[in-house]
Amino acid sequence: MLNSIILSYTTFVYFAAFMFYLLGMVMNREVFARIGTFASLIGLLAQTVAIILRWIESYSMGAGHAPFSNLYESLVFFAWTLMLLYMIVEWRTKNRTFGTFVTPLAFLAMAYASFSPDINSHIQPLIPALKSNWLISHVITCFFGYATFALSFGLSVMYLLKRLDSEERNNIFLKLIPGLGILDDLNYQMIVVGFLMLTLGIITGAVWAHSAWGTYWSWDPKETWSLITWLIYASVIHSRMVRGWKGKRIAILAIVGFACVLFTYFGVNYLAGLHSYAK
Amino acid sequence: MTKPKSQDRSNVIWGFFSSVKLTIVVLIILAIVSILGTLVPQEQGAAEFARRLNPAMLRIFTSLDLFDMYHAIWFRVLIGCLAMNLIICSIDRFRATWKRFSAKPEPDRTKPFDHLPSQQSFLAQGTPEETVNKVNRLLKSRYKKIRKKEVGANRFFYGERGSHSHFGVYLVHLSVLLILTGSLVGSFFGFDAYVNILEGEQIDSVMLRKTMKPLKLAFHVRCDKFTVDFYENGSPKEYRSDLSFLVKGKKVDKKSLLVNHPVEFLGITFYQANYGSVPGKTVHLKVSRSTAEPTVTDMKVEAGKSIALPGGDGKFKVIDVRGDIMKMGQAALISVQPNQGNPVDFWVFKQGEMARKMLPGPMLKSPKFDPSAFKPYTFFLDGLETKFYTGLQVNRDPGVSIVWIGCFFMIAGLFVTFFLSHKRIWVHLLKTDQGVEIRAAGTANKNPVGLQRELEHLINDLKGLFGKKG
Repeated sequence: MLNSIILSYTTFVYFAAFMFYLLGMVMNREVFARIGTFASLIGLLAQTVAIILRWIESYSMGAGHAPFSNLYESLVFFAWTLMLLYMIVEWRTKNRTFGTFVTPLAFLAMAYASFSPDINSHIQPLIPALKSNWLISHVITCFFGYATFALSFGLSVMYLLKRLDSEERNNIFLKLIPGLGILDDLNYQMIVVGFLMLTLGIITGAVWAHSAWGTYWSWDPKETWSLITWLIYASVIHSRMVRGWKGKRIAILAIVGFACVLFTYFGVNYLAGLHSYAK
Repeated sequence: MTKPKSQDRSNVIWGFFSSVKLTIVVLIILAIVSILGTLVPQEQGAAEFARRLNPAMLRIFTSLDLFDMYHAIWFRVLIGCLAMNLIICSIDRFRATWKRFSAKPEPDRTKPFDHLPSQQSFLAQGTPEETVNKVNRLLKSRYKKIRKKEVGANRFFYGERGSHSHFGVYLVHLSVLLILTGSLVGSFFGFDAYVNILEGEQIDSVMLRKTMKPLKLAFHVRCDKFTVDFYENGSPKEYRSDLSFLVKGKKVDKKSLLVNHPVEFLGITFYQANYGSVPGKTVHLKVSRSTAEPTVTDMKVEAGKSIALPGGDGKFKVIDVRGDIMKMGQAALISVQPNQGNPVDFWVFKQGEMARKMLPGPMLKSPKFDPSAFKPYTFFLDGLETKFYTGLQVNRDPGVSIVWIGCFFMIAGLFVTFFLSHKRIWVHLLKTDQGVEIRAAGTANKNPVGLQRELEHLINDLKGLFGKKG
């Protein structure tokens, strides 16, 4: 199928983007970073086309549905959202060093989707439980949130690295990372947006669960883990808003939060539950 | 600044619950115990896990309710703690918030103008009155609570926007309380049950999941038809139950129930949960009579009905049918009543060969498992006609609407808290020798970038009033 071929090429394009961004930083040459941006744009464009193609293909197969229905499609959508958000951040901040820390995440998601033997890239028809108008809004809000948290994770790593920067060290790579204040502000903005999206994701999920299973909350592992993630980020926001925590502590908490996101996304598949179609 | 209430009152409990540290600690504890709950199998899955624990561990697990921890007392106490913390924190800080909301700063404050960037002031030509009127009109169209002050020839304006954003956080906290209240209302005044209905049959009671006791409904539900559709690849496409609702024996309503499309009747909601099949009453048998002229007769019989034996040696009936008995497949219990003597009962299996291999020796010898127990007949089971049943989830939850209102408030509250800010704007008109100097400055409780943008727009529009390009 054409869409999955394009998607597997996109994986390499993102990898190339990562390498160029990295090269740009290590060699301190803006031209490489520019190529990185160009590659990211090409990859994002190709991926957008592939997702639309996949949507159309599913209709021509008679199994028409939005391409958000299994692990393969969700990984692709995750990478797409991440790259889209990243491009916006790069454009708004006019700084390409973020790319070095974000594109590898998109690349890993795409590589896992395209090359893992456990993941089926075929278009499958929707089982009755997934046939709902809530599918699209639930998946979009959740993955928008996940992607924002992934960005926050990248920013937190940058923050912790930047703390190592000093005059004596004189390391170009660290010097190129934007200042701690900018990173901290941006990180907090990402957390706030991600939290709102996660909240929306949980709520749309609850509304859907209520019509599919008769209960808006059933303590299924995926639900519980999304709540755990929500609680972690809620405490990050409280510690920032009320207690004025900043910097390192927020960065560390954001990394813990992203670990929870990852477990909500992948780890839960190893626990029995109602979300088994997302495997 | 006013002191928070916790300092006025020497109340230890108030002090404890008004701390944000407690909030963070409770949030993290809740997160950690929830992790535990996803690792220890809950409710249905628990039995299997419990069997593998040693008795001492099992005692610890059961006494802490770890197999149903989300409904355990201690878990509810934790949530209660969070709720108390929320309420008391909100009350504790309300006075300070109200002060910030309703504060009336003087229009001629000069502090916001310290270190004023040059692009935030300009000289306007024109008569003083005209200038004042123009500025006044513009500010009125943009801000609430405009306040003015005159000192000599100078005019001072103050306006603000987004003062309600201080209450966003209260909306979020209220929403959490609403959601918790909704779930409590649901657990006290609602129920959670299930029922299986055979195609063509009706029920008037459902099984409560919590107590495993039946609950009588005020009406009957009949399953007229159950259908499953499959895709070409064999995965299910649609489950559909056609239901009729009967009150006092009279059909009142007829509805089709699908997954994701629940059906409500008299305040009770039905959801398509699962389906299955059970042996129906129709049994297909082969009866052979091994005499000088052996005969084999195919028979289709209804369970429970007496039928004459093909050779006229008596009557028989099927007194029990099983869809799967001891993992040996379908089976029927046949009782033969000879013309004279006592009835002979025996089981016949659909997979007779397999059953003979699986049955232990002594049972095999018993006439109870011998399909030729009544000579000269041998019975063979060709199959049982199966019947579909539809598995329904049956709920009543009066708390749901409260939960949805809570969810709506939460989104609205988060939006207000994160993205709106209280912007206070000062515009000063100072008379100088060259004309009137217009300066604008402001403060905001958050989002300094947004404030900067606001001021830029304001200055641009003010300049526009006086024919100056921004």
